Amino acid sequence: MTATSGAPQSAHPERPGRSDGVCTEFTVFTRIKPGEGDALRKDLAALSDAGDDARVHAAVRQIGTLHDARHVIFDDDTRFMFASVFDGSWDSYIDDFAQTVVGARFDKVFSHSEGFPGVTDPHVKDWFVAHQAPAEVFLSAYPDLTVQQIWKDQRVDDAFQEVLDTPAFRAALDNPANAELVSSPAFQKLLKEAEA
Amino acid sequence: MNTVDSGNAASVRVEIDDVQSGALRPRPVPYAGKFLFLHVDDRRAGRALLRRLLPVTSGGLPDADRGRDAWVAVAFTHQGLRALGVPQESLDSFPQAFREGMAARAELIGDVGESAPAHWEAPFGTGEVHIALSALSSDVARLDEELEGARAAYEDTPGVRVIWQQEVRQLPTGRTTFGFRDGISHPNIEGVGLPGSNPREAPVKAGEFILGYPDETGGLPPMPVPEVLGRNGTYVAVRKIHTSVAAWRRFLRANSSSAEEEALLAAKMVGRWPSGAPLTLSPEHDDPELAADPHRVNDFLYREDDDRGLRCPAGAHIRRANPRDATIIGDARMHRLIRRGTTYGPPLPEGVLDDDGADRGLVGVFIGAHLERQFEFIKAEWVNDGNFIGYPGEKDPVAGHHGGTGSVTIPEKPVRRRLRNLPSFVVTRGGEYCFLPGLRALRWLAELED
Repeated sequence: MTATSGAPQSAHPERPGRSDGVCTEFTVFTRIKPGEGDALRKDLAALSDAGDDARVHAAVRQIGTLHDARHVIFDDDTRFMFASVFDGSWDSYIDDFAQTVVGARFDKVFSHSEGFPGVTDPHVKDWFVAHQAPAEVFLSAYPDLTVQQIWKDQRVDDAFQEVLDTPAFRAALDNPANAELVSSPAFQKLLKEAEA
Repeated sequence: MNTVDSGNAASVRVEIDDVQSGALRPRPVPYAGKFLFLHVDDRRAGRALLRRLLPVTSGGLPDADRGRDAWVAVAFTHQGLRALGVPQESLDSFPQAFREGMAARAELIGDVGESAPAHWEAPFGTGEVHIALSALSSDVARLDEELEGARAAYEDTPGVRVIWQQEVRQLPTGRTTFGFRDGISHPNIEGVGLPGSNPREAPVKAGEFILGYPDETGGLPPMPVPEVLGRNGTYVAVRKIHTSVAAWRRFLRANSSSAEEEALLAAKMVGRWPSGAPLTLSPEHDDPELAADPHRVNDFLYREDDDRGLRCPAGAHIRRANPRDATIIGDARMHRLIRRGTTYGPPLPEGVLDDDGADRGLVGVFIGAHLERQFEFIKAEWVNDGNFIGYPGEKDPVAGHHGGTGSVTIPEKPVRRRLRNLPSFVVTRGGEYCFLPGLRALRWLAELED
């Protein structure tokens, strides 16, 4: 592996991978065991089963620090790429999730890669680092937001939009008793978002 | 890696008599103790010292009467093991965090700014600390007895020098410098014959705390070689923490309008009242009677009645340090620790709001079989961040380093309270990662040749 590029504020300075704000990219390239390309493809298809979207996304929600992930088979079924973006460092919670259904899925997918020691092996982090290729450039459109924050923001906006659709809210804005609140800079910011 | 069928794990019996008392025993109440750091100039001298220390180093279970407990413990930094002439292959077999030492991990665990190793008290972080000797007892007379043997050992061994010492003692109030009772929570560890403090906690696998036994992953914790050196040992993060008690009191005063409000705000930041009564069981006021009952004081979980943190905030010190069954990212059982805080320095007299310049705080030891997954994870994810509880960037209000820009969120109906511009209430004076070997391993070290 060439020079690492962990951002100085990274909580795990010894782990490679480029950061932008709170999140870090994590990309791994492995060799697929000879003849196992189709088996891997089948396991990945089962993972992303379009008919069971709730189950597929439940696993991602359970992790709670994973922004996105992609699995790519390439070079005539000889190589495999796992590319992802995590809050903090990808390995912070690997021990936690090795015990869960998420860990079992990881184990299954990487079991088709040469040399994979198993997700519960104490040296699994070293194996991933040995197969990691840090990005030269990694940019996020929302570098300050963790997955948790994005979910919270979404819940808040959903609730806010519901409030805007409530006639009693319009009436409250016009009520002189609320004038002080409505004219406050913080509330005006909120109304700016409510205008359009 | 061999995995052990967890169905058989209940039959695991820890060789408790080979485990140093300094590993698993809860802190006595009351207590007096002493920490000493030694430097080994010559490996043969170091081994001679260990031979003399062996007879005074305690193992096994505590005295049935917790008020009469006492022990001496001997632990080593990686530099210390090197100074004793431990073979290179063995030195290289220790986990990276231990090999590097706490100072090298400062950024990761949040020892930055005024807490950075550049400002640490010597000899912390210099590589000079080789052996960490500690004695803890329920009273001063017992402590002197315990220390006498150790003192004879290091004073009579040329080539070994005491380079730092720190006395610790319970304050007359029985509380920390901040004014809260501590030392209440102790994990329920499988197979050691010591009860945990929370009757609702399912036993944690012995391998989370002692090397050589299966841990929560079902596998064995990584062990140094040879096996005799690792087995029944564990790791100890030792830290000296200065507490800015006046700053703590001023912050509470400035953010409340009555004595009752002030007490509640402090409790919301700590998670317990001064007596030790937990907010989750007594959300409105202190309850000394509850606190005095050892069966009730730690008998609680969070998820069923307090998952949102309306009683005990999710960001409160004790809830971060041990989230129990609360909704968090990850699995709290993978990050348990034995904690023993011991106080140094004089108390700041009641009611004083100005700093008197005295040095006061605690020497804390944090014990577990996995430095990275336990101590370091807890510092990085739970103490110095809040993403795991949905407050990204927010730190432990008491133990975090805020530098005047911290915030603390206190859930309340209808609207949460959020205090801003928190100063730091603690400063790290120094710390070391140590290996606390079993007694057979201590003998192995003492009998190294060449």
